[in-house]
Amino acid sequence: MTWHVQSELLAQYARGDIDEAHAFSIEAHLPSCAHCRAQIAPLVDDARLAQAWEVIEERLDAPRRGPLEAGLARLGVPGHVARLLGATPALRLSWLLACAIVLAFAVLAATRREAGLYWFLVLAPLLPLAGIALAYGPDVDPTYEIGLAAPMRSFTLLLIRALAVLVATTALAGLAALALPGLHPSAAGWLLPSLGLTLASLALATRISPVVACGSLGVLWMLVAGAGWRLAQEPLVVFGATGQLACALLAALAALVLIRDVDSFDRRGDLT
Amino acid sequence: MSHIAMSDLRKSYGARDAVAGLSLTIGPGVTGLLGPNGAGKTTLMRMVATVLAPTSGDLRLLGLDPADREQRTEIRRRLGYLPQEPGFHRHFTAFEFVDYVAILKEMTDTRARHREVRRALELVGLGDVAGKRIRKISGGMRKRVALAQALLGEPQLLVLDEPSAALDPEQRLRFRELVSELGGDERIVLVSTHQTEDVAALCQRVIVMRDGHAAFDGTPAQLSGVADNRVWIAGSRDPRARLWWRTSEGLHRHVGDPPAGAQLVKPTIEDGYLLLVGPAAVPDAVAA
Repeated sequence: MTWHVQSELLAQYARGDIDEAHAFSIEAHLPSCAHCRAQIAPLVDDARLAQAWEVIEERLDAPRRGPLEAGLARLGVPGHVARLLGATPALRLSWLLACAIVLAFAVLAATRREAGLYWFLVLAPLLPLAGIALAYGPDVDPTYEIGLAAPMRSFTLLLIRALAVLVATTALAGLAALALPGLHPSAAGWLLPSLGLTLASLALATRISPVVACGSLGVLWMLVAGAGWRLAQEPLVVFGATGQLACALLAALAALVLIRDVDSFDRRGDLT
Repeated sequence: MSHIAMSDLRKSYGARDAVAGLSLTIGPGVTGLLGPNGAGKTTLMRMVATVLAPTSGDLRLLGLDPADREQRTEIRRRLGYLPQEPGFHRHFTAFEFVDYVAILKEMTDTRARHREVRRALELVGLGDVAGKRIRKISGGMRKRVALAQALLGEPQLLVLDEPSAALDPEQRLRFRELVSELGGDERIVLVSTHQTEDVAALCQRVIVMRDGHAAFDGTPAQLSGVADNRVWIAGSRDPRARLWWRTSEGLHRHVGDPPAGAQLVKPTIEDGYLLLVGPAAVPDAVAA
């Protein structure tokens, strides 16, 4: 080694007050020059050094994100929220694939006969309900007890997961609806029932377990849709204007109950 | 207010009291909870960990009331809890799992949280396997991962329900070293166990539970003192003993009221414990 970095340049580098070209040059030189390393060592601030190490350690040791967390990060979801969602069974690839297959069969049925649209419209709101039933609770979340003892409110966790499940299943059902024959206006008739049933399941979850709440509402929804068809002799009657208004009212009422009773969810979540 | 205080604390399931009117105050240091299955240890641990509401009685944790939502949240910020049978998201790596719990503990700053996760995993000796998936590591390692999540944030109140179960002898030794270091001047560590050796190695105080009550409350030395002059060795079984078992030397070790001239031996914590709770505590022992 026949040359050394000027003292002033070393001091500027140690302060972080140097242009990139000089910084690169110094960084290329330092590993092979003990003299310059000895010169710069006392100039480096300990706090700055610790911070730099932390950044390096973080880059080396930070876990790689799985496909779900990476996808959520690309959509702008904060990393810690993405990790909470990464532990949601109803957002695993296998679950989403199962939903897609169910929807594909419903679309297929709709292309074969007119009443097939009825099955698509009944099935689409059931998917977020099933997802929420599997999103949180002592029977479905293996870390339920550890989570209960943590300060994050149980309801916040359920809400984050329920919202993600609703968005994911709505996106899938929306894509499936585009494949329905003739783009009938009624093809969007599942949206408000989806929202109404999802909010109602969350409101009920303040009183009973999410699994029971979602299961009961799912059965009730199928009974109402079937009874509407039988009574009016028209399969899509439940998805008409009156039905949509009822679903909107259900959503609004459930939202009010949720706001009022959110505390009881946290207490009811205790182990028994 | 660095202590646990309970007064006439009760948890009932139908007509049965799992915890039957306990009144205790537990301060800083390591306190062991010993007792046979069904004695009410886990029920008590769960109430102290704020995941189970008492049926009646008064419970104060770190001077706060867990029945009040705001105060309960504050307790949980200062609490580390290892359940008896911790569950895992098995597709997570050890790091991701502990990181997940750190998020539930409101650590939202990524860099600081990851630093804390690394610290907790290093503490339990799992720094090298942080990147391994939970489903691919052994049962003992999983237990240590679960212990790591309990240590996040240096909790003031640490509740460990049978933490040494599933650990091999070497891991158990490391665990004892770790827990004995954790019980400092300010931190309360409550450990439930079946292992009297854990109590001897770890605890400044031991509470023996039987049928939902505290059958004993004192130091480990006082627990072995319960059996002073009540343990003897003989070549054959003595029908007057309350309990007896064969030792590895082929002799019979008896606990109870010794006959005149019996060869008395120095009692252990296990002897004192057996006298208090009977043969249910140790499967090898037989009631006379």
